[in-house]
Amino acid sequence: MRYLRGMGKPIDAWFVREVLVHEQALMRFLRRNWRDHDEIVDLRQEVYVRVYEAATRRMPDSPKSFLFATARNLLVDRVRHQRIVPITAVGDIEQLNVMEDELEPARWLSGREALARLARALDRLPDRCREVVWLRRIEDLPQKEIARRLGISEKTVEKHIAKGSRMLADYFHGALDADATPGKARGAHRWLRKST
Amino acid sequence: MTHDHRQIERDAALWLARRDAGGWADRQQAALDAWLTANVAHRVAFLRLEAAWDETARLKTFAAGDTAARIPARGEWAQSPYFAPSHARAGRSRRAAARRPRRWPVFAGLAASLLVAAAAMGGFAWRDYTQVDRAAWETALGGQRVVNLTDGSTVTLGSETDVRMAFSRSERNLKLTRGEAFFDVAHDPERPFVVHANGYRVIAVGTRFDVRRDAGQLRVVVTRGLVRLQSAHDPSKAPSMLPAGSIATIADDEVAVQQVSPDEAAQALSWRSGFVVFHHTPLAEAVREFNRYNARQIVIADPSLEALRVGGNFKLDNSAAFVRLMQSVFPVQAQQRGREVVLTRKAQAHTAR
Repeated sequence: MRYLRGMGKPIDAWFVREVLVHEQALMRFLRRNWRDHDEIVDLRQEVYVRVYEAATRRMPDSPKSFLFATARNLLVDRVRHQRIVPITAVGDIEQLNVMEDELEPARWLSGREALARLARALDRLPDRCREVVWLRRIEDLPQKEIARRLGISEKTVEKHIAKGSRMLADYFHGALDADATPGKARGAHRWLRKST
Repeated sequence: MTHDHRQIERDAALWLARRDAGGWADRQQAALDAWLTANVAHRVAFLRLEAAWDETARLKTFAAGDTAARIPARGEWAQSPYFAPSHARAGRSRRAAARRPRRWPVFAGLAASLLVAAAAMGGFAWRDYTQVDRAAWETALGGQRVVNLTDGSTVTLGSETDVRMAFSRSERNLKLTRGEAFFDVAHDPERPFVVHANGYRVIAVGTRFDVRRDAGQLRVVVTRGLVRLQSAHDPSKAPSMLPAGSIATIADDEVAVQQVSPDEAAQALSWRSGFVVFHHTPLAEAVREFNRYNARQIVIADPSLEALRVGGNFKLDNSAAFVRLMQSVFPVQAQQRGREVVLTRKAQAHTAR
């Protein structure tokens, strides 16, 4: 039976196509400009929430600029709110670079790149998880059949799939590994990082 | 407003995994919809996981070959011709450094999966680097059509048949989505000729064979050469090798192979000349054959008639003649009801014997 996709609304497809595609650049931006890297994932999702909510009211003309403007505003809000950095520095926040041209989201256009990225993403999964995802997504076996074949419970298969989907998303959208070299702090926004 | 985004992501992943498990009822979809609607944070988390998860189907490109599938070792992707240096952009494939002598073993199915993957993404990106020639043909009820393919092969489509083609430099793929088709394959050892039907791959190098889809059933008739029949779902299943004169019937994932003379095999394909040949064929089967080709459907109302054996050559588009003949040689009575011809048993004629 064909279920209804989560991406039922046009805005969902828009979000995947125009916003998620910039995740790698967004992550880089956040890492550069936020000193507590434990909070990066939260910030990223918060940016997504704001962008999505704004888009339900009015579709931004330039999704990428809007995404980074939203990210910048969120950091500004957090800084003001948390008073982590001297309030006098806030004026500089307006100069946070958006780094528009740093990373082109080519993966939706270049099949080979996308495949290489997917392959690497799959390779990063733990053994069992990788096996389950392979059987499910590449061999198209039902979860039930995978459980039978691997001699594990269906619940366990489900857990591997849940975990696999999260890890795949992290790598596929954001390339959270050596690929994403820690950005060098530069210019006006160095101040947001912990001074060393 | 802030959320516990990590917890939300875990929840979203569970939703995705549960939906993926199948047997997804409307009630469960309604629950998921409610969860997605409750909070934009839920929705963006779910969309993010789903987008990546959906993308992974594209990896089928590497796995859809005709070799019994296995899970490749980590990094083995780099050996795929897809990432081979001649194709790849310079300096991209870091893992290609891990050289192995063996080539990617399951490359043969590349174009096959392109069908799947391209459908998923609109297909625009694939043409850049893998030229795939595509075409599709179909016939209506009672129709027949001969198509000459670019490689010199020909396909003859039977009644109510859909065939799709995707030819790449490495493989010739055809998909029989319904009906029956006869394939006369031009020899090309470099490019396997693969017909996908009903969860099976029928693979030939240079041969003649026929593939027919019925509800839940698949039949492959080989009249020349050698054909390999392989399950697309169950890679652990050994492929069946079908030499000329084989008639393979697949139902419920069970393959039954019957060896007949080449002439008999050819008779199974007489539909191409508009005829059908029966030899002690059960009436039920003969009727199915006619119904494949005619809008006027024959219905056997009395199950005791189904086992009657019929023989002879019949013109497929003349089911009326077939029905008349049945009435003259069997205790059968035919009645026209709307678009149907209903066959019942003629009581007196039967008891007279």
